[in-house]
Amino acid sequence: MASRLPTALPRRPTTSTLSTFNTLAPQTTSSSIIPTLQQTQTRNATLIKRPKRPYAFTQVIQLSDGSTFTMRTCSPHSLYKSTKDTRNHVMWNPSEKSLKNIEVDEAGKLAAFRERYGRGWDAQAPEVQDGGEEAQAAAAGGAAGKKDGKKDDKAAANASFENKFDSSYDPLGDLISQYAVGVPEDKGAKVAKPKK
Amino acid sequence: MASSARSSGAAAALLRRRPNVCASCRTTQFLRPYSVAAEAQATAEAHHLKPTQSEPHVPFTVSRKAEYRIRSSIILSRAPLLTRPLTPFENAFFFYQKRLNERLTTEFRHSMFFKKDTAADLDWRIKLEERGGLVAKELGRYYAKGRNAWNDELLVGSTLSDENRIRETLLKDAEMRVTEDGEKAKPDEIVPVEKPQPRITESDKKNDVRKLDRKLDQTLYLVVQKASGEWQFPTDDMSTEENLHQSAQRVLDAAAGPNMNTWIVGRVPVAHHVVQPKFKEDTSLAAKGEKTFFLKGRIMAGQADVKENTLGYKDFKWLTKDELKELFPTPYFKSVRNMMADR
Repeated sequence: MASRLPTALPRRPTTSTLSTFNTLAPQTTSSSIIPTLQQTQTRNATLIKRPKRPYAFTQVIQLSDGSTFTMRTCSPHSLYKSTKDTRNHVMWNPSEKSLKNIEVDEAGKLAAFRERYGRGWDAQAPEVQDGGEEAQAAAAGGAAGKKDGKKDDKAAANASFENKFDSSYDPLGDLISQYAVGVPEDKGAKVAKPKK
Repeated sequence: MASSARSSGAAAALLRRRPNVCASCRTTQFLRPYSVAAEAQATAEAHHLKPTQSEPHVPFTVSRKAEYRIRSSIILSRAPLLTRPLTPFENAFFFYQKRLNERLTTEFRHSMFFKKDTAADLDWRIKLEERGGLVAKELGRYYAKGRNAWNDELLVGSTLSDENRIRETLLKDAEMRVTEDGEKAKPDEIVPVEKPQPRITESDKKNDVRKLDRKLDQTLYLVVQKASGEWQFPTDDMSTEENLHQSAQRVLDAAAGPNMNTWIVGRVPVAHHVVQPKFKEDTSLAAKGEKTFFLKGRIMAGQADVKENTLGYKDFKWLTKDELKELFPTPYFKSVRNMMADR
């Protein structure tokens, strides 16, 4: 380390320090060193500009379960309330039943859509395929009697098509909850292979 | 290096009286005043020999396998839910860094964040005026660009850097100061922001050791009480039919009931504890020794329940590491302490 440093560092020689050098040090050695110290003054450090950083405030973050922490941020608001985060998301709370895919359909728009186009567009295929579908549609829309056979077939085909590729098994999400009861063997491997 | 130099110096001092010992022998240990009997006793103690044995067996574990019972145990823990409170030094340090940052950053550009003549703009202006034109909310009366910018250090005993005060200040600042009509709100019209829950819970105040919402910033460990009154982690003898992790799961279910969502972290024990066997004078066994292997578990939800346990436990507690140190016998605690985090 020390050997890498330059032997003659640029210093700020002033007349006063030079005179003390002359008086204190023996004449024989200082006469050879002092001329190398006499250099012009350089101030390289002042040329380096500070990077511009935006102004930072301290902000209180409140997560959806009420826990808080403070952090530095550009936002001038002093409190940020999160509505969706790891505390109320299904991925991080696999055993929480209340977070699982609940459909809010107060206006009945989803039911109306299903009545017209079937359940093939659903994110998850319905559990009951035959017969049950009609009953579900009837419960949702209340107008099952108007269905014709053609539409029903189409919907059933859609559902079965989707079911082939849809995997209800979530290997990451249920890891924690399933480890304790023992993971059924080869289930994941079977589901992961899509049929071609 | 220092210790060896010290010990050699001590040995040299001892040997100064005996000049016939060579210099290289002075640092070796054979000249220490050991008696033969004491040495033999030390060997026997170190290797846990039987009364008649003088030397340890070579295949140590094989020959003495029958003298031990193998037990499986689980250390079920609840992870800390909160970060630890900061020390006064840390608070002061962060506070100082923030004030220093005030001097070094670019100025806050109000127009980038607030559209002119909106409610948010008016709200910001009201609060800014109350702070005396200072942009920072929690740094006290410190003008970073002014004449007294150098005076950024707090005096001894100042409570400005306290984290509770900072949080209070920020939450106070979060109140909306503008009414729906776009006018400055009167003091009785200001709706206070809901305060976050305190770090100290009801269970902390009552010191209810059976509750899981106690000591939120530390890890809690499940301990159970035997019928004899002794406290330990849930433990049971292993059968030859099962593996360690299966056995640990069985112990947990048997001791604390099924009403818990738990996760056994790995299949490898995180700690072990050995109780040496006791012998009579004729080397027959007086009491079998025990080798206990601990597995690590986490509780996610639920609560322990020892009412219907089959292992004969009568009570349970959720305790921190410090409390376990008081509760456990020293050798037992020494065996398990290294698997526990500091907090």
